[in-house]
Order: sequence, then structure tokens, then C-alpha cells
Amino acid sequence: MTVSVFRGFRTLSYRERRNLLLGVIFTSPWLIGFLLWTVYPLLAAIYYSLTRYDIMRPPIFIGLKNYKDLITSDETFRIVMHNTLYWVALSAPSGVISAFLMATLLNTRILGRSLFRAIFFFPAIVPVFVTAMVWRYLLNIQYGAINAVLQELGLSTIPFLSNPQLVKPTLLVINMWAQGNAMVIFLATLQDVPRSLYEAATVDGANAWHKFWHITIPMCSPVILFNLIMGFIGSFQYFTLPWLLTQGGPNRATEFYALYLYRNAFQWLRMGKAAALAWILFIITVVFTVILFRTSARFVYYASEEERG
Amino acid sequence: MLDRKLSRRDFLKGVSGVVAGGMLAACAPPATPVSQKPAEAPAKSEAKLTPIKFWTFWGGFEEMHEDWKKTDAYAKFIDGNHLKLEITSDVSLESFLSNIAAGTPPDVGVIWIYLDLMAKGVLTPIDDLVAASSLKPEEFLEGNWKFCSYKGKQYGVPALEAFVRRGLNYNARMVEEAGLDPDNPPVTWDEALAWHKALTKFDSAGNLIQFGLDPYDAEGGVWSSDGFMIAESWGFDWFDENTGEFNIDNDKMAEGLETLAEFIRIIGPDNLDAVRAVAGQGTWGGAFNAEVQAMIIEGYWHPGETAHEKPEVSKVNRATWVPVPESRRGTKFQFAGGHMLLFFKDAEHPREAFPVAELVNTQEICDIIFQRNGWLPAWKPFLETVDPSIYPGLDFYFKSIKETNEWWHAEPCELSSDFRQTKFAEVREAIYRGEMTGKEGAKKLQQLFEEEYKAAGYKS
Repeated sequence: MTVSVFRGFRTLSYRERRNLLLGVIFTSPWLIGFLLWTVYPLLAAIYYSLTRYDIMRPPIFIGLKNYKDLITSDETFRIVMHNTLYWVALSAPSGVISAFLMATLLNTRILGRSLFRAIFFFPAIVPVFVTAMVWRYLLNIQYGAINAVLQELGLSTIPFLSNPQLVKPTLLVINMWAQGNAMVIFLATLQDVPRSLYEAATVDGANAWHKFWHITIPMCSPVILFNLIMGFIGSFQYFTLPWLLTQGGPNRATEFYALYLYRNAFQWLRMGKAAALAWILFIITVVFTVILFRTSARFVYYASEEERG
Repeated sequence: MLDRKLSRRDFLKGVSGVVAGGMLAACAPPATPVSQKPAEAPAKSEAKLTPIKFWTFWGGFEEMHEDWKKTDAYAKFIDGNHLKLEITSDVSLESFLSNIAAGTPPDVGVIWIYLDLMAKGVLTPIDDLVAASSLKPEEFLEGNWKFCSYKGKQYGVPALEAFVRRGLNYNARMVEEAGLDPDNPPVTWDEALAWHKALTKFDSAGNLIQFGLDPYDAEGGVWSSDGFMIAESWGFDWFDENTGEFNIDNDKMAEGLETLAEFIRIIGPDNLDAVRAVAGQGTWGGAFNAEVQAMIIEGYWHPGETAHEKPEVSKVNRATWVPVPESRRGTKFQFAGGHMLLFFKDAEHPREAFPVAELVNTQEICDIIFQRNGWLPAWKPFLETVDPSIYPGLDFYFKSIKETNEWWHAEPCELSSDFRQTKFAEVREAIYRGEMTGKEGAKKLQQLFEEEYKAAGYKS
């Protein structure tokens, strides 16, 4: 391939060569950054994953032991995988559904639509740290606003964040609330759906549900797929909010993959194992994404392909 | 030359030169008026001073450094050693570790993973520097000094915050309101549990209003360089430094885990988590200062910190011995430990930085630290000058040095202190949530620690 690239380079005219060179020069800041800060760490992580490395002493090569230990004998890894898969399976779809419904709602002609759009988008621009603090003070069993109301009414409080069974559903609700970015993308897509399709459907006697199911969803399906993939990738890397809100607890119920990776790397000084964890996560994410892409033809409608076909 | 016409380009050049010069002049420091007496020349030229990078994981040391500069001890330190101290505080563990890995550590630093650092060879031994210095080992509390060595070599000097770390502090007002006698505090865990029950209150809907003791809060829950309270209270060594063997899977440990779990079960594990999340706020003693928690196991700093943070609570603070099981009634144990200055091998001036250890163990500097933070060193000459009645409860810690009949200090175990801490927290939670017995918990910890010790390469 390299040879053909060079052959191709030789066949270029002077002007084309000059343009190519200029292109490379202009993109070089990004290219250098990509090589230094993405490619090199990725490759270095492969090496470190095959070593016992505690950051302070030189790494010792131990082959595939880190991978073997994680898969065969690490009990916490199994808990972490269970928590993470639960989270990925529920948070990405529920996030997309929430964002899509919010966008659909805000695409209708309602009074104060701009204000509502701003309100729904607001969680996306608030720093996660602030979000965590607000939710903590809303949901805390002892001092939270919601529980304070329950307490005033003489009712039992609800341990949203301190009960192992309730904490993950609580995080799911917070995740559904913080879908401003996906909502804006959906909103733009919804505004691009041709009005003529709805008009034709109305003439054919379709009701609102039929239009939503047979026009809105298919027309938005490529964007649904995009948001779903982004949601899945983000869910696998879920870290900041559970770290700030629960620190992996209670009783390890929110000990997600990224938290465990961080603990291994910086708290327990097992950088080799952390690198192995990072690579396993990378592979899982890639496999997941490929499966989604491969199966997407069954549920994604591309209008442009139909036009070509 | 004079005949030359002034072109537009020349004009612009000239104007930009004048403007740039003017701006530079405006930015320059004001010139000393001619009539004014010339400023005194600094004693040492800044350029000749060796810069010493001093990092701490605590915050607020840059401000404290300004107070240090006003002391004679500091002037003597600068002039005598030709050093320039550059303090960076609030340095995270990640930052410390990244700099160690990159070969750019500070010259001197305080970071809580002391034994990890000693065992992993990133520090420079200082035995010769100590011998040649003004520091005298016998002037320090023995436990604190001992903790600064690993395998026969000295790596640290106790500093900034050390002294003793075991005391059961209680809020006398809450105790009295619960119908208990604050002059007869609990001595055994059974008595402490009775106090805990009397002090724990729920509303009619079953919601927690206040509680007696979270035995795992603050010093009660650590398993680090600050020791391990269960082992001290129940009286067993959990690690043998000579053989590298762990002794965690034993009846005393199992009993300790079960006994302390009972305290949490009475509060309710979900309630405890919530209190930790808010009242704790990430700082120790938050629930105590909020008067939600009536008792807390804390070090000597608790009286001083409470006085600074919540003076009204400080007034009703008292301290006594940490409880022991009935079988050890009469044992009054105390733990000496805390923090130290370490000198990093790969730094630019680790050996030149040694006088910092002398500086922070001077009367003036110790006094500033005590006044600002309520922290005490392990340096006896300063301890002798402290008025223990200044903060309610502090006198107990001073008396305890003389009255204790069992001294403890940190076990020299190389296992990552954060690993110990996290696994201990996981296991004790599983126990008080009823998923594991104390015996199973002890066995689990033994297994986890042995595996990790081996995996970290300390035992084949």
C-alpha cells in the first residue's frame, strides 16, 4: 500500500503535489496531536497491559496475566461488568427515547416554545459537577428537598442514592433529564422532515399516531442510530456523575467500568491492569458499535438510498 | 538622508515603534524617585538561591507560607541555606504520581502514601542528613519517628501534622439530653453501643434525626498510615513485616467487624450513606459538627478544627479513650502517626531540600500551623509549650501520652493503602448490609490482601 501511495504521488502534477504538501502542512498540528496524544498512548497501553506496572517502578513483562486474571478470577470485574452492561442496556435507549420525545414535544406549536427549548437544553450546558451537587441535595434521604417534603407530610423518605436497588434507576432518570444535546439534534432533524409527507398522510386519513410511527420515526431513524451509538459509547465510559454522586456505592451498585479502571490506575497503582481494562473496554465498544451498524439496515431508513434505488 | 521622503510605510513603522515603546514603558515598574532613599539591596540575590519545590496534598499552604516568611526562623532558613521555597499545595495523587513517573517530582513533599513511596524506591534515604542536622530523634514522639523508616533506612521526618490519633470525642450537650452522664463515657464497645442506642433518634415516620456513633467515620474507618482501629482496639497485629504474612482472618477481627456493624444496622445503612454524602461533605467530622452525630473517633486535631469550624459545638466537645472489647477492659491504647516530609530521589535538589524539615520543626512555624489549622507536630519541644486547655477535648490527647498502656504505630506493610482502604470499606458494607458475616469478611480481606500483595510483586 505504501508503495502504491508513493507511485501515486509520483504521478501527481507539480500543482497537485504542492496542494497535497500544503494540505499536510496545514493539518499537521492535528496530525501531530493525533499521533502523540491518541496513537502513541493507545499503542503504549497495549504494552503496559502486558506488564505489572505500578507507575513508580519499571514495568515487568507478565504476558497476558492481567487479561487472564480479569476474566477468570477478578470478582470485582464481574460486578463491574454487570453494572456497566445494565447501565449501557438501559441508559442509552432511555436517553434516546427521552431526547426524541422532548424534541417532538418542542417541535409542536406551543406557547413559550423557545423558553421550553432553552429549559430542556439547559442541563447540557451545566457542568456535571454542578449537576451532581444539585441532584445530591434534591435526592438525599436526610436533607434532600424531595425527601424533606415527604418528611413534612409524615411519609417515609426514599433512599434514592443510598439504597443499592434504587440508585441505578435514579441515575437513569438523571441521565434522561440531561439529554439536551441529543434533543437539539433531534429537533433539527424533525424540522427537516418534509411537510408534504404529513399532508399526504392526512389526505390518506392517517391520525397523529400513524404519522408519528410511519413518518416521523423512519425519517429520523439515521439520527436515532447516531444518538444511540453515541449513547452506548458514552454509557460504557460513564464516570463523572457516579464518581461525584456515589463513589461507586452504595454496596458497589454504581461501580461502573470507568470507575474501576480509574481505581486500578490511580488508587491501587495497578497501571498494567488498568491498561488491560482500557483495551477490553475498547474492544467491547468496537464490537458493540459494529453490531449496531451491521444490524442498522433493518431499522434505519435512508431516504437518499431509496431515491437512488 | 535628510532629503529622503517619509513614505507611508516609514510613518507607520515609526508610529508603531513609538506606541510599542510607550506601552512597554507603561508596563514597567515605577522608577524610584531620585530624592527617595535607595531601596535596601536584598540579602541574597534571588538568582543565587536554590529553588526548592515543596508540594503538599493539603490545600492552603501558599497562604500559610506568607506567614512563615515573616518569622526569624524563615529568614535564618533562607540566609543559612541559600534556598528559595516554592510551595504548591492541594496537589492530587494523580499529579504526584504522574510527576514521579515522568521523573519530575518535587524536591520535598507530603503525600499520604508514605510506605508505598518508601517501598517503591522513589525516595532518597536521609540518615546521614539527619545525623548532621539539628534534628534530634529523641525530641520526636517515638512512634512518629519510627514510621519514617523502612527496612532500616530513614526516608522521612515527621512534620506539619503528626502527634496522636485516637480519641472518642463526644458532644456533652447531646449526651446529657439523652439522659446519659457525660462524666462517665463508655469504656467498652458494649457501653458505647448503649450510648449509641440512647443517642439515635428517629421521627414518627422512621426517618433518622440524629445518631450516636458511626464507628467507621474518620479515624475509626481508616486502614492506612494512620493505622487500623479494629486491630488496635481488639489487640492484634494484622501484618508481620518479617515474614510478609497477613493475620486478618482471625476471631478478633471477625468480632470487631460484627460489633461495629451493629452500630450501622441501628442507624440503617441507607441512612448512614446519606449522612456521609451530605453531612460529611468529604471532610471528616461534618456530621459531628452539624450535631447529627454525637460521637466520633478522631485524632488530636478534632478539638482544634471543630473550634475553628463550629465554635458552639467545640464548647461542648469532650474526648476520651477509644472503646475496647470487654475482654480488654482497662486497656488504654493510643496511636502515634501522621504525616512526614519526604525527599524525592529524581528531583533536582532533594538533599539540598533537607533544611525544610528543620524549618517546619521550629517553634515559630509549628505555632503558625497550630494557630491556623489546630495541627500539632510530633516534635516534643513544641508540644511542651502548647496550652492543652485552648480547645475543649485537646487535654485528653496530651494526657493520653502519659496514661496510655498500649502504644500502636503503623504496620510497615507495602500493600497500597488505597487498596486496603477501598476493600475494607467494601467488606464492612457487605457485613452491615447483612450479605456477609464478620467471619466471612475477615476471611475475604485476608484472601484479597494476600492476592494483592503477591500480585504487586512483594511475595512470590
